Amino acid sequence: MADKKAKSIDQATIELIEKAAKDNCNIAFDRADEMKPCPIGSVGSCCKNCGMGPCRVPLPRGKEETPEEQMKRRGICGATAETISARNFVRMIAGGSAAHSDHGRGVAELFLAVAKGEASGYEIKDEQKLLQLALEWGIEIGDRSNNEIAIDIGEKALAEFGKQEGELLFISRAPLKRQEIWRREGVVPRGIDREVVEIMHRTHMGVDQDYDNLLKQGTRAALADGWGGSMIATELQDILFGTPSPLLSQVNLGVLKKDEVNIIIHGHEPLLSEMIVAAAQDPQMLEMAKSKGAKGINLAGICCTANEILMRHGVPLAGNFLQQELALVTGAVDAMVVDVQCIFESLPEVAQCYHTKIVTTSYKAKMKGATHIEFEEHDALTSAKEIVKLAIENFPNRGSNIHIPEEKTDLIAGFSHETINYLLGGLFRASYRPLNENIINGRIRGVAGVVGCNNPRAMHDEAHVAMVKELIKNDVLVLQTGCSAMATAKAGLLVPEAAAQYAGAGLAEVCETVGIPPVLHMGACVDNSRILIAATAAVKDGGLGDDISDLPVAGAAPEWMSEKAIAIGQYFVTSGVFTVFGVTWPTTGSKEVTDFLFEGIEEKYGGKWAFEQDPIKAARLMIEHIDKKRAALGIDKARERVLYDMAMRRELDEV
Amino acid sequence: MEYKVEKKSAPGRDEVEVLGETFEEGKPEDIELGKWRYKLDTREEKLKYLENGERYWYGKEWYGSEKRKNPA
Repeated sequence: MADKKAKSIDQATIELIEKAAKDNCNIAFDRADEMKPCPIGSVGSCCKNCGMGPCRVPLPRGKEETPEEQMKRRGICGATAETISARNFVRMIAGGSAAHSDHGRGVAELFLAVAKGEASGYEIKDEQKLLQLALEWGIEIGDRSNNEIAIDIGEKALAEFGKQEGELLFISRAPLKRQEIWRREGVVPRGIDREVVEIMHRTHMGVDQDYDNLLKQGTRAALADGWGGSMIATELQDILFGTPSPLLSQVNLGVLKKDEVNIIIHGHEPLLSEMIVAAAQDPQMLEMAKSKGAKGINLAGICCTANEILMRHGVPLAGNFLQQELALVTGAVDAMVVDVQCIFESLPEVAQCYHTKIVTTSYKAKMKGATHIEFEEHDALTSAKEIVKLAIENFPNRGSNIHIPEEKTDLIAGFSHETINYLLGGLFRASYRPLNENIINGRIRGVAGVVGCNNPRAMHDEAHVAMVKELIKNDVLVLQTGCSAMATAKAGLLVPEAAAQYAGAGLAEVCETVGIPPVLHMGACVDNSRILIAATAAVKDGGLGDDISDLPVAGAAPEWMSEKAIAIGQYFVTSGVFTVFGVTWPTTGSKEVTDFLFEGIEEKYGGKWAFEQDPIKAARLMIEHIDKKRAALGIDKARERVLYDMAMRRELDEV
Repeated sequence: MEYKVEKKSAPGRDEVEVLGETFEEGKPEDIELGKWRYKLDTREEKLKYLENGERYWYGKEWYGSEKRKNPA
């Protein structure tokens, strides 16, 4: 068994890894020790897209390759290492874009059902955002009811997935210069599904054999995610469940309660979870819990469904991706409800070591050994109550082998673009002006988006926390989503007090004035679309260039693992953002493809990728890039502020 | 509110007392407190806010990088 302390920086995680070992319970940390990554697949040099292979085309070790040797490095069909690497990379983008976008489609379908009165228990909670989309998409408002407007919006949103030509509607939100760049490069997405399907076609045996052309389609599919499927998911969820506003909650496994029925909600789609929140507060359910000896019903979340219900209801976060099995190892979870994405197939097996019921809820995501209670949008509250009841009935089955760690930390979440805009100017004149001015005057050096997953190939949470601390120490305001936000929340960075403790003097001063933390939690991984909108608002406000690529900003996913992260990275890079990934990089089997992604792509889109495993070095790369952009804007040097007296003003007038 | 006082070294003097950070420790008990969007009541108020607060997308009266007062 490997050294447990090297697995995480989080004490609760370390304790439960040790408990899992004592309980003979096999978890991801053990499996990562037992199985090393495939050295050929991990660099993108394995093609298994047809039955002639799989073909392996690894780089020769320890020597420079001659052009002749490179020519020989081909698959049976003749595919070069470049084609194979690009194929694998864009297939990752297709997987990620499909995941986010199918989430968006599910939301749009529910949205339309709610508008038509076919989904009881749901309602339109944010009329303002409904009106916003109506204005944007040219839908008549007049005296029409919210539901009438919502039907038009829902139909238009759903049509985005199957559209065959033209441009996605949200493309028009981007800065005008950015739109021109996309049109110039021919990468404006036509329809969400089309771009994903086209990747699968082009990467089929014997189709697109030009890595540059493959990566171009990868860009189109990634943009269909960020400015399409993900943005639709975010916007329609805001209308249905409310646009997030700041609220206080807690994070880490210490939020579980020994004397209450603990239900963990895990996955990415909040459609059913919203109803579970309601069902858990139902007096009948609470009474039933008491009849079983529990003092109440305690909900907590893991992964991005957790972020969704945190942002809107303040439901605490039990932990991030690598803590999903550990939640069960506490022995105190009575049911874990999962929907889609980032769910370990090992959960039912881990649950067998304890008493937890694993409940699958999506027809798209079933598991052997789990109980399936399908989410029925037309009667979601009934499904939700059934799940809560199952958890209550399981409460008396808890064994004595329970350990709930003490660790739990306060955090503030709920920083949507709309809320940041409001916080900086109030209802009177909401604005990004104060942010831009403080970037121009140098109090804030720049802005970084730090997002993404956990990966057991790296120490759990370490890179997120180290990188974000380094950034805020250097006056870089950090925007976060997903499991990354949970990591820094556990480290106490998501409260206003963190500004005084960890941030540079300039950033701390701004945070104190506005009353915000130096690290802003903007939501789940689909909510990276909120970061795109925040960046666009900063551009449009003026003073920081004409495009996202002019802004002193950078992005990172220091512990990434999923295909969604690659799709997100690609849409950030091709929206003009310098983006650094840690842990591993999936194209290093081809020098040409990697060079293009790390350098050449910048000429086309103004953003580029970088790979750096050391989080401090990665943060320095980001700061270096931010400084380069500040210099290009001419705001790199502090300028002396001159207070003009009347004589000086008169002199000015005379000029 | 009680102010924190911190000691810092200053040029030409040994140490001076300055006011420390002023973050309030109070934590909102009511989850509704941060929900600012309920401050806008009627549809007219909401549309007006969009035109003003989200002016770069939904308003006409604004200046910025894409609508300059003085062309660059």
